[in-house]
Amino acid sequence: MTTDAIQLDTETLERERRELERSWSSRPGLLGWLSDTDHKSVGKRYIVTALVFFLLGGIEAALMRIQLARPENALLDPDRYNQIFTMHGTTMMFLFAVPILTAAGLYLVPLMIGTRNIAFPRLNLYGYYVYLIGGCLLYAGLLVNQAPDAGWFSYVPLAGPEYSLGKRIDIYAQTVTFTEISALITSVEIIVTVFKQRAPGMSLNRMPLFVWAQLVTGFMVMFAMPWVAVATQFLAADRLVDTRLFDPSAGGEPLLWQHLFWFFGHPEVYIIFVPALGFISSIVETFARRPIFGYPVMVLSLVITGFLSFGLWVHHMFVTGIPQLSESFFSAMSMMIAIPTGVQIFCWIATLWAGRPRFRVPLLFALGFVVVFIIGGFTGVMVASVPYDIQVHDTYFVVAHLHYVLLGGAVFPLFGAFYFWWPKVTGRMLSERLGRWHFWLFVIGVNLTFFPMHQLGLAGMPRRIYTYLPETGWGTLNLVATIGAMTIAASVAVFLVNLMWSLSEGAPAGDDPWEAPTLEWATTSPPPPYNFHLCPTVQGRSPLWQRPADQPVVSGLRTDMREILVTTMLDAEPDSRMRLPEPSVWPLIAAIATGVTFIVLIFTPWGLPLGAVLLTGAFVGWGWPRGKDQRLQRSEERRR
Amino acid sequence: MTAPVRALDASRLPTTVFDHRSHMWWGTLGFMLIEGTTLFVCVASYYYLRVNVTDWPPEPAALPSLFWPTLHVAVLLLSLVPVALADRAARRLDLAGLRRWFVVASLFALSFLYLRWKDFESLNVRWDANAYGSIAWMTAGFHGTILMLQVVETVIFTGFLFSGDFDERHFSDATDSAFYWYFFVGSWIPLYLTLYLSPRL
Repeated sequence: MTTDAIQLDTETLERERRELERSWSSRPGLLGWLSDTDHKSVGKRYIVTALVFFLLGGIEAALMRIQLARPENALLDPDRYNQIFTMHGTTMMFLFAVPILTAAGLYLVPLMIGTRNIAFPRLNLYGYYVYLIGGCLLYAGLLVNQAPDAGWFSYVPLAGPEYSLGKRIDIYAQTVTFTEISALITSVEIIVTVFKQRAPGMSLNRMPLFVWAQLVTGFMVMFAMPWVAVATQFLAADRLVDTRLFDPSAGGEPLLWQHLFWFFGHPEVYIIFVPALGFISSIVETFARRPIFGYPVMVLSLVITGFLSFGLWVHHMFVTGIPQLSESFFSAMSMMIAIPTGVQIFCWIATLWAGRPRFRVPLLFALGFVVVFIIGGFTGVMVASVPYDIQVHDTYFVVAHLHYVLLGGAVFPLFGAFYFWWPKVTGRMLSERLGRWHFWLFVIGVNLTFFPMHQLGLAGMPRRIYTYLPETGWGTLNLVATIGAMTIAASVAVFLVNLMWSLSEGAPAGDDPWEAPTLEWATTSPPPPYNFHLCPTVQGRSPLWQRPADQPVVSGLRTDMREILVTTMLDAEPDSRMRLPEPSVWPLIAAIATGVTFIVLIFTPWGLPLGAVLLTGAFVGWGWPRGKDQRLQRSEERRR
Repeated sequence: MTAPVRALDASRLPTTVFDHRSHMWWGTLGFMLIEGTTLFVCVASYYYLRVNVTDWPPEPAALPSLFWPTLHVAVLLLSLVPVALADRAARRLDLAGLRRWFVVASLFALSFLYLRWKDFESLNVRWDANAYGSIAWMTAGFHGTILMLQVVETVIFTGFLFSGDFDERHFSDATDSAFYWYFFVGSWIPLYLTLYLSPRL
């Protein structure tokens, strides 16, 4: 591999650009739209879909808050209330948080590492469709009064065949399966993309922290999600074909469900949180206008968080009568995981301290994250202590804690990320003024809603009750929380108005409106289908800040087909060229086959043989190469 | 107008690479880790349920039979030979050898369908008899999905080897297919020990 000085004349450049445009654009028409495998299109679809689910989950939250605003309210009956809180949790965890945070990776990672598309682009499209089918299934259930009603973690025996009749829990189980398939696929794509497609020179120790965060998340998904995938299949089997896995009268064990679920469920919280840490690092670095302080420590903290997150699951089970030794172990682990997060927070503070911060909206959300998340972190250390946990278990104290952690740890960074990367995605800026309204309403709303819940929990208000008596004295704080929830709703409305406004009125963003250091800002906004006209190489951690005049570009990749440069895993040295597949409608067909299989499995085990046939057909159609397409053949002939 | 630019010339880099240099190898490894975790969860659940009861297998289940499952393991191990030979042929870019050994591998793959059926029978318990039966069936069933995948993939790929669409890039796919086969065989061994031998301990 040599670096040569070459002459690039404008004519050749323009010809190559046109050729790239032709090779990488999606096909026209509806079919072209359905088969578009550009990571940016798929990423955007994930994000829009997840936002719709966020709004639906938010409406469910609002309904609960209205119901609880005063004692003995009769807006929702108990059965409907059970469905609503289960839908809220299931939606927010499985259909909103995980998909949107990993989708940010699908969109941004290839741009940040300087490549043209994600690894396995067709699989990526398939993953999106499977996720979409899962989300639609859950809401179809709600429409026919078959929404799950046993909580987002669906404990057996309540969720088992004996106590949950109908198909509500089966719909839950298969919805979870769909989202797991999609998340697992995404994890493999991100890991392979990061390992094999980084720009020459971007060795592992030069990767942006956001990419590190996505990589760690990918591994966490890979080892955590199979647990819940197995658990939900066990549950579905107990309900459909009378297996006895959770049935104590036949040697089964209800606690097995809790172990399997939380072995996934606790890493899940960090699967949501770690990409958000990546957002914060990107935002803090850019707006402090200096490289992040303590890069190696930051990377280690991310990796350690990933590992430790697998050692916490039993702290959800402190009241199940597990041995005291386990309690002590998991209590210690739960406190320990605060350390790497604390380290990162100190590094961000140091970065801001030593930098020249610009307090634009993305940075405001990053600071909001620090404050709100720290409150959640403190109550986290409190409930990590076994005696305290036993006291507040299943009360509103836990509701307060988990919302501080999730809203603080994921939604604040996510909003910050929207303000930060929206200009890259759409080419237009969001309104700074509306952004500040959004931020302050959100900060006030979140604290007004969830802070009183700490006290409600200490006063004994249990989770998941549909109403309470006036004598309990919980009315005032509940009303305050409801007012807070309405404030959150107002802030989200401002956010949506801002998005709409920006699409038509926003100021043009240019390539790099924030003077940011990473590669996604080196291309146009929005980026072309091939991402970079000339693929970049890098020499440091902040390529756009230290761009030397003679930084080489990559040449010699074919422009008449979708060819990418493959580099080595550790040092990102150029190693081979690879052709990515053309767009295809088969991922959609395969996703429909998958959907039919699991939906039929809700009703009859004959879904298994049916699925075997459908999926075989779909994947053969997908995988069978169709020779060379004619355009390519012509261009090869020209070359000869 | 011209602009002198320093450029890394990628045009001479190879397009057919094997093992960790190829995307598909990493993708295959990723799915192995996922499926390996799935099987690990099944085995963990198996032993978790076992400590719940004094008798294992609990009534009314009898001990699993050994003949068919052990034969199956032997056939699985034997199948590694043609697969390893196909793997080598692919690395030599030897299409004739690849075809030959993939035909043999396909025959092996088809025999696994029957042998897995016998595996289920040899458990000597129904899935709905008790939790022991359930977890045994589920574990063999989860590995069965990998088996199905392997059979379909091998047979289809063999057909593809004889079609006109095969070109040099696909030699690397053949080695990844072999790589997955090694995992498929290797992952059954601990499950075999768990399902058929551990109840005798």
